[in-house]
Amino acid sequence: MTFSLPQANTLIIDDFQGMRTMLRDFVRLMGVTRIDTASNGREAISQLSANKYDIVICDYNLGPGANGQQVLEEAKLRNFVGVSTIWVMVTAEKTTDMVMGAAEVKPDDYLLKPINQVLLQSRLEKLLARKQSLGAIEAAIRAQDYSAAIAQCDQQLSARAVNPQEILRIKSDLLLTLEDYAAARALFESVLALRNVAWAKTGLGKVLFYSQDYAGAVQLFQQVLEENRMYMEASDWLAKTLDAMGNSAQAQQVLQDAVQLSPNSPIRQKALGDTAYRNGALDVAQAAFEKTIKISEFSPHKNPAVYARLARVFSDKDSPEEALNILKRSKADFRYDSAAALQTAAAESLVYQKMGQVKKAEAAMMDAERLMEQLADKVSPEMTMEVAKSLFKLGKKDKACGLLRDLVKNNHEDAELSRQIGAVFEGENLAEEGQTLIKASRNEVIDINNQGVMLAKQGDFQQAVKLLRTAAQQLPHSEVISVNLCGLLIGLMQQKGKTEDLVLETRELLGRVREMNPVNKKYHAYALALARLANDH
Amino acid sequence: MTTEDISFTDFIASSIHDMKNSLNIQVHGLETIADACRARADTETLAGLGPIIHQAHRMNANLIQLLSLYKLGKSIYPMDIAEQSVADVIAETLLHNRSVMEFKGITMEVDCDEGCYWYFDRDLVTGILLNALNNAYNYTTDKIRIAAHIEGGFLQLRVEDNGRGYPDAMLQSDGVTANKGVNFSSGSTGLGFYFSSRVAQMHKNGARQGSLTIENGGAYGGGCFVVRLP
Repeated sequence: MTFSLPQANTLIIDDFQGMRTMLRDFVRLMGVTRIDTASNGREAISQLSANKYDIVICDYNLGPGANGQQVLEEAKLRNFVGVSTIWVMVTAEKTTDMVMGAAEVKPDDYLLKPINQVLLQSRLEKLLARKQSLGAIEAAIRAQDYSAAIAQCDQQLSARAVNPQEILRIKSDLLLTLEDYAAARALFESVLALRNVAWAKTGLGKVLFYSQDYAGAVQLFQQVLEENRMYMEASDWLAKTLDAMGNSAQAQQVLQDAVQLSPNSPIRQKALGDTAYRNGALDVAQAAFEKTIKISEFSPHKNPAVYARLARVFSDKDSPEEALNILKRSKADFRYDSAAALQTAAAESLVYQKMGQVKKAEAAMMDAERLMEQLADKVSPEMTMEVAKSLFKLGKKDKACGLLRDLVKNNHEDAELSRQIGAVFEGENLAEEGQTLIKASRNEVIDINNQGVMLAKQGDFQQAVKLLRTAAQQLPHSEVISVNLCGLLIGLMQQKGKTEDLVLETRELLGRVREMNPVNKKYHAYALALARLANDH
Repeated sequence: MTTEDISFTDFIASSIHDMKNSLNIQVHGLETIADACRARADTETLAGLGPIIHQAHRMNANLIQLLSLYKLGKSIYPMDIAEQSVADVIAETLLHNRSVMEFKGITMEVDCDEGCYWYFDRDLVTGILLNALNNAYNYTTDKIRIAAHIEGGFLQLRVEDNGRGYPDAMLQSDGVTANKGVNFSSGSTGLGFYFSSRVAQMHKNGARQGSLTIENGGAYGGGCFVVRLP
């Protein structure tokens, strides 16, 4: 940390003039001279975009428009505040979503009203010290160097940090990100051996989930919720696990209970909408999607996919007019967003098809296909599946299957995605055909990889590279193919000597791997090997 | 917005939010006036301000307790039991009340190790301590002590004063259940005891549960408010 309190550039956000003045007086008394104020979310965002603040003191309740949490989310998303900024939420009461909700972005701390000057100063000084102690860890996380971040955690833990639980929690998140489930499990179990704490038990449940011990995970999440039903993170994971087990009816019930207790999380409401829609519970899905749209109006979670889903719900309920209305709204709300236009077009095609207006349906689908080409690798698997669903409805089965086949091939190790693709086929009463297609597509990629490995073992790197290069051209989004090709290129250079072209090709591929998955296990080893080769004269 | 969009819970929460804003500004205003009195050595006005600020603190404590109890009753309070620095929590509670204590010439003493950490919901336990301090302020002669120790798997938090102590009737029926009905001379409704006892019981570790007791004695021989958390 490079600043002390009096030097801090400070922003105060409160809708209530009296509170604004009071908070400004407080920080002035701390010797702070650079103080700006904002009275609502819009003003706050404009201030945050124009200035770099060290401290933000923000009221949670900002009247009409965005609330404090939404301002924080937008500021983080648009990089207006960095890891070194101290964000303190001032609030009249602790809210679930702020403390243990689905929110990924949380303030550094919250202060319950009433507050006074000495209290605020004491808290800010403590936060400054904490930022300082966590600075090295956060910098490593920001650089996506998770192994270094873990090393930093260990260093602080062995130096007997003042906040060991917080550091253990950060470390456990990092271990999960790196998919080091054995180490994560050991960490959670060592914490739980001392005391039954909700975060560690939930963490252990996540480890079981990733190890595909779904029944074990369900048991743990349920235990956490029996002890504290407001621990929403456990509830969100319980729903996710039940869904993965194919028990979507129970998953829907869990989510419905959760939104009763904590209704203002757009992520949870969308999850409920999706699950209910899959279960054919159209009324529940409609209510959940409508609520999602409502609560994310001023939030960066505002998502065109939700509008498209809601339109599908209306269309299934034989209310095509309402479906078209919601798509019209989507077009207006996201008018500069081609990814949104793609989803809207796919949904529109579906709605017109259902209305019997084939020409309009075809035209909308042409738009969708054009946008897909334009967007190329910015098309998410979710969007691809939506387009495929619409293609099925238009009777363009071959095209739909083609899209889904490529999707499987590009992500052949992603079991969850394969399950979702399977569900798309099921929705078209093509369950069996879908399973065959998924299996064949996966095997095709596995075979290419195996052949590559075999050739490499026989020392024929030249042939192996040739094979995988062709595959990589056809499957540019396959992380596995790209990373294996890197390995073969490095092997080839070690065998036959490097050339400038090969070094460049490998470097570009590695860059793509990192973009697809910053924590790819082979990335660091290959980057190191490439650097050695490149520096070798 | 239609009426069914607003739940009673939302109403309570937003009203309390509003009241807390008002209180916060009121206390800040009174303290600003107090500073001005000090500057011009107006001891008479200054002496009158202490009890007024104290009453505002009591109102705030009541608001916190009512809202928390309402949410605990409906099982919608976001209970967040996490490891906390006990010394920090005590220090912050004192910062809430410092000016009031100074007005009355009360000396505060804290007996807690810097390295003392324990598991509890920070806001609820702060609520308990604020309530205990408000009570001790009423009954003490001029000293209040907060002590925290870990003993036999429990954190023991004690707020002690050097006043006359609790009356026998309260001690015998353990105070918590005895104090029903409003006593306007002491301003006691029993809310604080009920809240503190309820919150203590919400803290569980395995088979063990938290508790609240009152006794006389302690370091100063006055009233002692004792919370034990597993």
